[in-house]
Amino acid sequence: MDLISNLALGFSVASSFANLAFCLIGVLLGTLIGVLPGIGATATIAMLLPITFQLEPVSSLIMLAGIYYGAQYGGSTTAILINMPGESSSAVTAIDGYQMARKGRAGTALAVAALGSFFAGTVSTFLVAIFAPPLTEVALKFGAAEYFSLMVMGLVMSVALAHGSVVKALAMVVLGLLLGLVGTDIYTGAPRFTMGITQYADGLNFVAVAVGVFGIAEILRNLEDEHDREVMTKNITRLFPTRQELKQMIGPVLRGTGVGSVLGILPGGGAILASFASYTVEKKLSAHPEEFGQGALAGVAGPESANNAGAQTSFIPLLTLGIPANPVMALMIGAMIIQGIVPGPNVVSEQPRLFWGIIASMWIGNLMLVVLNLPLIGLWVRLLTVPYYVLFPIIMAMCSIGVYSVASNTYDLFAVAFFGLLGYVMSKLRCEPAPLLLGFVLGPLLEENLRRAMILSRGDPTTFLTRPISATLLLLSLGVLILVFMPQIRKRRDEVFTESDA
Amino acid sequence: MTVSITRRLLLGAAMALGLAGAAAAEYPERPITLVIPFAAGGSTDVVGRIVADRMSQELGQQVIVQNVGGAGGSLGAGQVAKADPDGYTILMATVATHALNPLILKQKPYDPVADFAPISLLVLVPNVLAVNPELPVNSVQELIDLAKKEPLAYASSGNGTPLHLSGELFKAMAGIDVTHIPYKGSGPALTDVLGNQVPIIFDNLPSASSHIASGKLRALGVTTKERAPSFPDVPAIAETLPGYETYTWNALFAPAGTPPEVIERLSAAAKAAMADPAVAERMKDFSATIVASGPEELAEHVKAEMAKWEPVVRDANVSLD
Amino acid sequence: MSTKPKDGTDIAAGLLLMAAAGFFGWQTRALEIGTSLRMGPGYFPMVLSGVLFLLGLVVFLRAFGREDDEPFGKIAWRGILFILPAPIFFGLTVRGLGFVPALFLTSFIAAQASVRMRPVPALILALAVTILSTLIFSYGLGLPFRRFGPWVQF
Repeated sequence: MDLISNLALGFSVASSFANLAFCLIGVLLGTLIGVLPGIGATATIAMLLPITFQLEPVSSLIMLAGIYYGAQYGGSTTAILINMPGESSSAVTAIDGYQMARKGRAGTALAVAALGSFFAGTVSTFLVAIFAPPLTEVALKFGAAEYFSLMVMGLVMSVALAHGSVVKALAMVVLGLLLGLVGTDIYTGAPRFTMGITQYADGLNFVAVAVGVFGIAEILRNLEDEHDREVMTKNITRLFPTRQELKQMIGPVLRGTGVGSVLGILPGGGAILASFASYTVEKKLSAHPEEFGQGALAGVAGPESANNAGAQTSFIPLLTLGIPANPVMALMIGAMIIQGIVPGPNVVSEQPRLFWGIIASMWIGNLMLVVLNLPLIGLWVRLLTVPYYVLFPIIMAMCSIGVYSVASNTYDLFAVAFFGLLGYVMSKLRCEPAPLLLGFVLGPLLEENLRRAMILSRGDPTTFLTRPISATLLLLSLGVLILVFMPQIRKRRDEVFTESDA
Repeated sequence: MTVSITRRLLLGAAMALGLAGAAAAEYPERPITLVIPFAAGGSTDVVGRIVADRMSQELGQQVIVQNVGGAGGSLGAGQVAKADPDGYTILMATVATHALNPLILKQKPYDPVADFAPISLLVLVPNVLAVNPELPVNSVQELIDLAKKEPLAYASSGNGTPLHLSGELFKAMAGIDVTHIPYKGSGPALTDVLGNQVPIIFDNLPSASSHIASGKLRALGVTTKERAPSFPDVPAIAETLPGYETYTWNALFAPAGTPPEVIERLSAAAKAAMADPAVAERMKDFSATIVASGPEELAEHVKAEMAKWEPVVRDANVSLD
Repeated sequence: MSTKPKDGTDIAAGLLLMAAAGFFGWQTRALEIGTSLRMGPGYFPMVLSGVLFLLGLVVFLRAFGREDDEPFGKIAWRGILFILPAPIFFGLTVRGLGFVPALFLTSFIAAQASVRMRPVPALILALAVTILSTLIFSYGLGLPFRRFGPWVQF
């Protein structure tokens, strides 16, 4: 069978000594830079990109891919340990992962994240290998109307991210949507909410917003009462999950892998939703939804798997169409062109060594990551015993470098300070940051696709219902909405489950 | 990692040798920053990095690429315009930063002529008019005829980009109306044309070339005056609409006031870099035509481009605040 | 003094949300609204501002008639005073002073946010952060920042 010989070719390329070494360097560098607070995959790749330019094409792409998922691993680690997500996906991990860490279960959270990611990475690598071409056809069926409906579904799901009042969560989503619109309107070029600052013409930097509302707000909360409050519990019982915990994570990991793989295929931003969607699914299926937001294992296992699966399958549009699904993929396209490879549908047939080599290396890289990261967990957890007043100045220094390195934009650092303050005020008012962040990433996509769909349909709003995929997604959203509001109506859940975050 | 460290050591050694042979204050005595006013990974970034790498060898000092993206290239260009005119900060400019933005933007962040000292016009890159193969047209003329009968839409990489204005110039010269659908960059625009969500696209030839070669897109015409060497079978739009000509270009600029001998040195280094067969090979893959002009030709070129685009921008009524 | 129960936190949250909605709505006023077919740049923000205002109002109104179950607590004034200016300072000085001095001062400023941090340990910490970061980012990764900027040229 073709697949076997192709995979054999891929593994023979990827397991050459040099390529194994580059893969290892890639995942190692990616993890190490990604684990620095406030530095996510995009910033990491932007920093490390020049290093890869001097290499052979296959090696350079293998290393870049390694950096990419290495940085995602690293980003999850920081999200769990210090509530500092560097990517939209790890923002979800931060919700329950950080609570687990505060309760002395950081080791368990990190191990669950690593194992879940590895499983998801393995499955989705094979999906890429087997289904890449046919899946591309599906992805191309998604037009503006379909993306709009998909984003609506994402918004509906976002309410489940909150564990307090549903009304406040909705308000946070809407505020996030508005913040997402800051910048130049792509249809008319009119600047919106930029207050005349050209540096915000391309919108607010995601890392600045995420670091501000999550990380810095948390630092300020921890500084409120330094004398009689410990940030982290000192009695860390165990590093690795118990057998029972391992059993608990099977379901979330499987579902997360499925959700993430499907969403990752869509080039128009589906992968963004992967971890959010998985979190919603797990919370709805859980027998103890009240544990979510307080350190639920499934709230880490599901989204982490979904995120990694989505990261892998988002290579499908890249490799089969030559179209980047996110800024990191755009950097990889640039790397290919610099190497003299024209990315596009012909890469599979003209460069089989490159194509299958990268796919094989993705699996090898994931294996390396899990082997590397499980022993590191002990080290990371020990990091938490560093006194907090030593830790947070380091965090602030790293954030400043990380945010500035993305675009050398001073105003991004001003945004960090502003959103730090906003995040702190929000937390004082018991408003949660996760829905705001989801709104922020969805806002531009939602508006862009809504307006494009309306122009393409010549102003006929039924386009969202007459296109079958779009209609299905809207029906699903309605279903989710009913599921979310049922308990609200039945027992005023916002009053029952109000968080007491003393 | 090891490779780059070795390379840096070699560069350091080369630098030391270069310094030993010349006066101590000879330019360049420290690394030069090449500001690329777009995000890493795009076509300008790619051209910039290839050139920077080769120019480093030529100058005996590292040319460090710094991406300062935002506002269609205006942020990076504005930053270089205000930088010290000592030759240590230079800009990779494009048709957007040095012809279109100054015409389109209501608030002018810089003056493309007065604020810059031209160094060298490096390459010209053709654009292409392509359609999804399901659209029943095989030539520019058939597309014009269809557009007169049916409402059509075309995709571009964004409002006010060279591709949008190529489309607007096409509409004006052909006397047709086609709805413009802007996207955030070429990638998403291409995706929707490949999926036949939008039937027509104006794109850079390099980004569309693999789809044209594989038959997923039907190229109707290139926007340069002559056919592109990489696609000899694709006619020029000018064969149907005489006088139609647009293309994207990349050029190096320093801030105004940079000493002429520094400009000379940079211009010579850029010329030498572009003459390297390996660089030429990469540019050919990229469908780019090498110009490698001197400073005067670039100054003339900017004036000619501004004069060409001024009426198009005015007639299309494109403006950004 | 009112004796009726009310949730002070939610009153503040509701007011703040309505104020934010007001700000965005006010900023939208200069933008063209357009029609449903050709939505202008102001269409979507205007709708969202309206929704946000309504949600803020709901939060505000529901705050009356119930107890504040979680008091507001202390405010980290010292944290706000030193943590938030740190990235701003870095942004303002990284080009002029250069990476090394800017980072040193940024870490030092941030360290002042804790009452437990004495000046000497703060200096040592800032120095260590600066040396390590310079090695990693400037030498290791070759980030294109000048180590020492024009303000401290030598």
